[in-house]
Amino acid sequence: MSYGLSIFKSDGSVGFSTADITWQTLDQFTVNANASVSNTYTVPSGFEIIAQRQLVNVPPSSQEDYAPNVTISGSTVSVAPQSGLSSSQCIIHVLTRDT
Amino acid sequence: MAYGFEARNDSGKVIINDTIENLHFIGKATHTNSYPGYGDFPNYSGSNDTLDGNTICYYSITCAGTPVAFIKPNDYARWHGLIKQSVSGTTWTFYVMSSGTSTSNIPDVYCFVNADDIPVPSGETYGMQVFKADGTTKTFDSRRQPLAITGGGSIVSPSDPTNSSGYPGTTNNAAWQSSSNDHDFRSSNRYNTVADSAANTTNAMFSCPSIAQAVYSRVINGYKSSDIPWWEGGGSQDHWSTAWWWVMYRQAFRLRSGNFDAGWTNYQAGFWYQQSFTSGGWFSGGSGGYTSGNRPYSNKTINLQSNAFIIADSSRFD
Repeated sequence: MSYGLSIFKSDGSVGFSTADITWQTLDQFTVNANASVSNTYTVPSGFEIIAQRQLVNVPPSSQEDYAPNVTISGSTVSVAPQSGLSSSQCIIHVLTRDT
Repeated sequence: MAYGFEARNDSGKVIINDTIENLHFIGKATHTNSYPGYGDFPNYSGSNDTLDGNTICYYSITCAGTPVAFIKPNDYARWHGLIKQSVSGTTWTFYVMSSGTSTSNIPDVYCFVNADDIPVPSGETYGMQVFKADGTTKTFDSRRQPLAITGGGSIVSPSDPTNSSGYPGTTNNAAWQSSSNDHDFRSSNRYNTVADSAANTTNAMFSCPSIAQAVYSRVINGYKSSDIPWWEGGGSQDHWSTAWWWVMYRQAFRLRSGNFDAGWTNYQAGFWYQQSFTSGGWFSGGSGGYTSGNRPYSNKTINLQSNAFIIADSSRFD
C-alpha cells in the first residue's frame, strides 16, 4: 500500500488495514426474562446500528420460548417482550458501522 | 473531530475511532462435547421417517466481556445455528446445533470481544492502542486482531419448516390403524436466501444467532365399525386409532458460494400411536400404543423475525 494504515500480525502478515470494513460494538447487555430496556447511544452521523439477539437458555421442554422484540429507532435501541407474551432471558449485541 | 484518533478505510468509512470499541479476536472456543440425535422419528419406521438430524456441540471459552461468536463450518453442506450462549463467572458456553447426526467435521467457533476486554498478550509491549476520552477505556488494541468483515445483511427463515407443501394437519376418519406418515418433515428445501459475494464454502464464517423455533405435527385418526356376529349378541363395535408425529425445529443457517441461507433443522421429535375398541364380541375391549417424548407446545412458528448476519473470513484469524 502507498497510503493508509496497516496493522501487522506477529508473523508479518497484515491483520487489519484501511482496506477493511468492520462492525464496532456500541453495547452488550443481558435482558432478563419479561424485562424491557431502552438505550440511546451517541454515534456519529451516518452510522448504521444493528442488534443481535442471543437466547441464553435451551428451549424449555413444555412451553414456548419467546425472544424479546428489538426495535431500532435512530440511535435508540429498545428491547421488550413480544406483545402479550412472556419473554426469555436474552443477550443483546448492539453493533454499528459507518455507512 | 477536534482531537483523538480516527482511521477511515479506502471508502472513507470509519473503522477505528476513540468513541466506539472495535471487536478483537481472542481465540476459538474449546469443543467439549457432541450429542447426536433424531436422524429419524423414534419408535417409528415407515414412510417419511427420515429427518435432517441434529448434532449439538458444546464449546467453552473464558474471557472478560461478552463474546460475539462466529460459526465456521467444517462441512458447509450442513446447517448450523448457535442456539444457546450462557456464562458462569467468566466462562462462556456455546451450544451449536448442526444438521446431520455425524460428530465428525463439527464447526469451529471464533470469539471476539471488545477492545477493553481483550486479554493482553504477555511480553507484547508494542503496537497501537486507542483510548476513549476517559483515558482508560480502550477502543482498539493492535495486539489482538481486530474483526474485519466481508459481508452481511438481514435474513429470516420461512415460516413453514417442513418440505411437504403446506403445514401438516389432522385427518379424521382415516382407516383404522392408519400409521403411515404422509408428510415430509425434513427442512432441506425450506429456506430463504440472500445473495452475498462474501459467502463461500472454504473459509467463510458467520455470526447470526438462532432465534426462531417451530413445532409441527401430523395426526391421523382412524376409525372403523365392525359387526358383531349374531351368535355373539349382534350389534356393532367401534375401533379407534391415532398416529401422531411431531417435530420441534430450531432456526439454522448455511453458507453457499455466493449465498447465505436461513432455514431449519429438527431439534426434537416424537411419535405416538394408540388404538382401542369398545367392549363387545370376542375382543372384549382393550387398547395399546406407544409414545416417544412430549411435544413441547402446539403447532406454531415463533420468534420469526429478521436476523442481522455478519460474514467474515476465518482464515485471517488462524
